[in-house]
Amino acid sequence: MKVLIVEDEADLCDVMKSFLEGEKYIVETASDYASGLAKLANYDYDCVLLDIMLPGGTGMQLLSELRKFGKVDSVIIVSAKDSVEDKVEGLELGADDYLAKPFHLAELLARIKTIIRRKSHHGEQAIQFKDVKLFPEERKVLVGTDEVQLNRKEYDLLYYFMIRPEKLVTKTSLAEAVWGDDADQSDNLDFIYSQIKNLRRKLKSHQAEVDFQAVYGVGYKLV
Amino acid sequence: MQVSLKNYTLRYLSIAFLIIITIWAALFYAFILEEVYDNVDDGLKNQKILILREVYEHPELLETNKYGINQFRITPVGDEDDFSEENYLDNEFFYMPYDDEMEPYRVLRTGFYAPDQKPYHLEIRTSTVEEDDLILNLTTALIVLYLVLVLGVYLINELVLRRAWRPFRIILENLNLYRFGKKEDLQPVSTNIVEFNQLDEEINRMWKRNEEVFDEQKRFIENAAHELQTPLAVTINKLEMLMEDESLTESQLTQLANSKSSLRRLVNLNKALLMLSRIENKQYKDVKRISLNHIIEEISSDFQDFLSFKDITLEIETHGNFDVSMNKDLAVVLISNLFRNAIRYNIKGGKIIVNIRQNHLLVANTGNQVILNREKIFNRFHKGTQDSQSNGLGLAIVKSIVDTYPELSIDYRFEKNMHVFSLEKIR
Repeated sequence: MKVLIVEDEADLCDVMKSFLEGEKYIVETASDYASGLAKLANYDYDCVLLDIMLPGGTGMQLLSELRKFGKVDSVIIVSAKDSVEDKVEGLELGADDYLAKPFHLAELLARIKTIIRRKSHHGEQAIQFKDVKLFPEERKVLVGTDEVQLNRKEYDLLYYFMIRPEKLVTKTSLAEAVWGDDADQSDNLDFIYSQIKNLRRKLKSHQAEVDFQAVYGVGYKLV
Repeated sequence: MQVSLKNYTLRYLSIAFLIIITIWAALFYAFILEEVYDNVDDGLKNQKILILREVYEHPELLETNKYGINQFRITPVGDEDDFSEENYLDNEFFYMPYDDEMEPYRVLRTGFYAPDQKPYHLEIRTSTVEEDDLILNLTTALIVLYLVLVLGVYLINELVLRRAWRPFRIILENLNLYRFGKKEDLQPVSTNIVEFNQLDEEINRMWKRNEEVFDEQKRFIENAAHELQTPLAVTINKLEMLMEDESLTESQLTQLANSKSSLRRLVNLNKALLMLSRIENKQYKDVKRISLNHIIEEISSDFQDFLSFKDITLEIETHGNFDVSMNKDLAVVLISNLFRNAIRYNIKGGKIIVNIRQNHLLVANTGNQVILNREKIFNRFHKGTQDSQSNGLGLAIVKSIVDTYPELSIDYRFEKNMHVFSLEKIR
């Protein structure tokens, strides 16, 4: 899977690059409009991460150029502005998603996986870890062949672990990804513990081979 | 006591008129009387000369000892002592058959020696002005004059000043109607009165200045918040990368997690500030008919996890529909902020009552028993006593959304041991 990051902030570009490389993506970067345009014209990518404000132009211009070439690369707009207008304009120009800075890397990964999956026409792609299979299109979870009944939040929670098994998922990332802005009301993130407990109980009842491992007080790993 | 400007001047004018007319009347009366007596006295002295001449020619006139038709009398002097040839003038009252009453007369008393060398008293009288009648008439005339003057001034005030102050009332009305950045509803002030034009110009200039300062401040907040986003993104993401390191000890990892969590608060604060400036910049333009009942239904399920975690019972009592024309996103933010507030400041095992009636919504929650300051809780960064996690902007956002729609109003009260927020549609 090839990803292009068009981002003028070198630090942010680096951290995104090394994270995605850690997730086994092939990552290329461009730091301004011209180099971004050159790369988009000459190569195909599975996913393009576009910053809006770029030296020499805007991400929106790049996006419309890209569509003029007749390319269908998946595009996620990454912007510091988070304004309704930008979001609407980006999506109208054919962006697949819109992510506001600052974001959690886990969230970025989840978005990339979702749009790449949506674009690929190889039918339903299940995410599998050990004997647990997750079908994102149908929001269905199987343990072996048994279907596990999960509510919306439990499914979202499991999805975040399934896309990065055996990696630490922090409580803050989870809270924000699953509960969004509603999460900031909870003074501590203890409520996640009770959600994880429910999820673990449901998976256990189907004799799943996976389990959640608490990593100190910081987060959990799916093992 | 407050009085209108035109009545205010009238009050002082009527007092001034009264004083001026009184002083003028006193002087006028004195001068007139002086003149009248002067004339009468001259006439009497002239008559005295004529009478004395006649007496010398016709001594039988010495017998005239009664005022008859002659208006004089001559009496012989009995006692030598009180004889004098000097003129004495005096006012006296005599009976007048015409009026059937005593009337004032001017009397000249003098003495003379007749041709027979005997001294005689001579008294000449003439009818003169009735002073009390004069005063009465003068007073009546002046009271009428005074009333006419005051009434005249009053009418002129009413007619002229009402016209003249019309632009002033328009300016007042405009000040009342003025809402920040909104001038469409205001009436133009068109007048040829210099002062009012100046006033209107100055007010407009002041509005403009204030709006500029405010806009600048808003832009500053917005830009500052935007500029913070990228460094925050870099820092948070780098911390996340660091936390991937398997060799970290518990304390290192915990410290990283704490830093990340603090940064998250900063991110939320930033988001809230941006949200506020977006609301104030009227960036949520798309207005639709929204059923708050539906939104409450949707949102309450989103909050289920938090409710059950804190063991809070949520009761939704629906007695009617609350429909309002507003932006859907803002409606969601409005209701979720009220919910979030009701959950955050609740106690474990507490209660939230949501009461929906037509054009009226109540969100009541249990919590600590300290009554909040209803003047201040909607202010930015106003923090209650015991919350360190709140960014102090949740209710400010609520207020700002409510203020965007003039028909909505929000209020707080403490009732039956619950904190009650009530949202109302006025029209």
